[in-house]
Amino acid sequence: MAEALSINALRDQRSASCNPVGAPSVTSDLSENVILTTLDDLHNWARLSSLWPLLYGTACCFIEFAALIGSRFDFDRFGLVPRSSPRQADLLIVAGTVTMKMAPALVRLYEQMPEPKYVIAMGACTITGGMFSADSTTAVRGVDKLIPVDLYLPGCPPRPEAIFDAVIKLRKKVGNEALSERGNLMPTHRYLTVPHQLKAVEPIVDGRYLRAETQKAALAAAAELPVGAAIPATTTA
Amino acid sequence: MPEDTAPAQPAITAPQPGPVSTWLSSQGFEHALLEPDHLGVEVIGVEAPFLPVIAAALKASGFDYLQCQGGYDEGPGGRLVSFYHLVKLAGLADQSTASQHLPGDVKPEEVRLKVFLARDGDLTIPSLYGLFRGADWQERETFDMYGIRFEGHPHPKRLLMPEDWKGYPMRKDYVQPDFYEMQDAY
Repeated sequence: MAEALSINALRDQRSASCNPVGAPSVTSDLSENVILTTLDDLHNWARLSSLWPLLYGTACCFIEFAALIGSRFDFDRFGLVPRSSPRQADLLIVAGTVTMKMAPALVRLYEQMPEPKYVIAMGACTITGGMFSADSTTAVRGVDKLIPVDLYLPGCPPRPEAIFDAVIKLRKKVGNEALSERGNLMPTHRYLTVPHQLKAVEPIVDGRYLRAETQKAALAAAAELPVGAAIPATTTA
Repeated sequence: MPEDTAPAQPAITAPQPGPVSTWLSSQGFEHALLEPDHLGVEVIGVEAPFLPVIAAALKASGFDYLQCQGGYDEGPGGRLVSFYHLVKLAGLADQSTASQHLPGDVKPEEVRLKVFLARDGDLTIPSLYGLFRGADWQERETFDMYGIRFEGHPHPKRLLMPEDWKGYPMRKDYVQPDFYEMQDAY
């Protein structure tokens, strides 16, 4: 039939062709207007469609990740909206080398994210330390020693398409979760926690650099130098 | 097959004093002559206490740009070295404003000062921050990596490593701590 049938004509045809029992008359209205699903599916659909990544990056991997934000790759179509606050993010894409100095900040960012949260280890540096694993004095060999990782995305750095692939695979993982199993999925002691016995001291880095007293003193001392004030015009070698 | 002409043995001669060294001698500044590097840049050894005086004299004579400050470790049992690469830029800038096109063979005058410190001795050098502001982070990095202390530096603390790090990573005798985070991932 070339032209589409009207809904009443379709019902007539179904009631005529479904003899001898006849078309189910009770649920036809329902099935045409109501979607039946599970609460898990609905909940997962909402979550996987709005995976908000934390705007976090430390090295060249973030250049590839930043390309996703632009219109050429446009990761908003996956529902990824970069958030600058860990309180609003539920996906942490660890893009770039993590050093021993950055590690406490990364762990703190992860801990500040609300549950449920997901981590993608992006690039060779975050999986094994990459090229820094040979002899670096400070690179963390594998970010999974600091925080639990859901998905490993290899590459040095991975192409933006590879990040899409990782996000799609993560969406599948999110879609398979169930509310009833939620408690089982909570990380307990999956990352190293050492009972440090630390003694708090005054911070060495306090954010004041140019306004520090030592800086002012050094500048004042430099201004008194005869050379700093006036350089003789020509004294040839 | 042996070569029939003996390769020219590099004669062991004392390095000839370059223009900067000659000028320093004429002004009565004590310094050590070192071999020029492979580009012919004059290298001058300086005692740590005299470094600010000599650097100030060189700055007054036109070396107005500290292009690079850094350190290196001579190796097992060797000394720790802090070097300063100075360039004359103001004269070159005057030349380029005077004429539209500089000839290709015009090169800025350069000199490199080196301060040698015994590894187990006093690793203190007066800071050049007062003369060259650019020495700020470079001296901090040299302190961070080699443990050479720069006296009079406004922020004598590490630049790259965590502030509470033990040891100086670029020294040849540095032993990497066996932290869990830094063990092999496989």
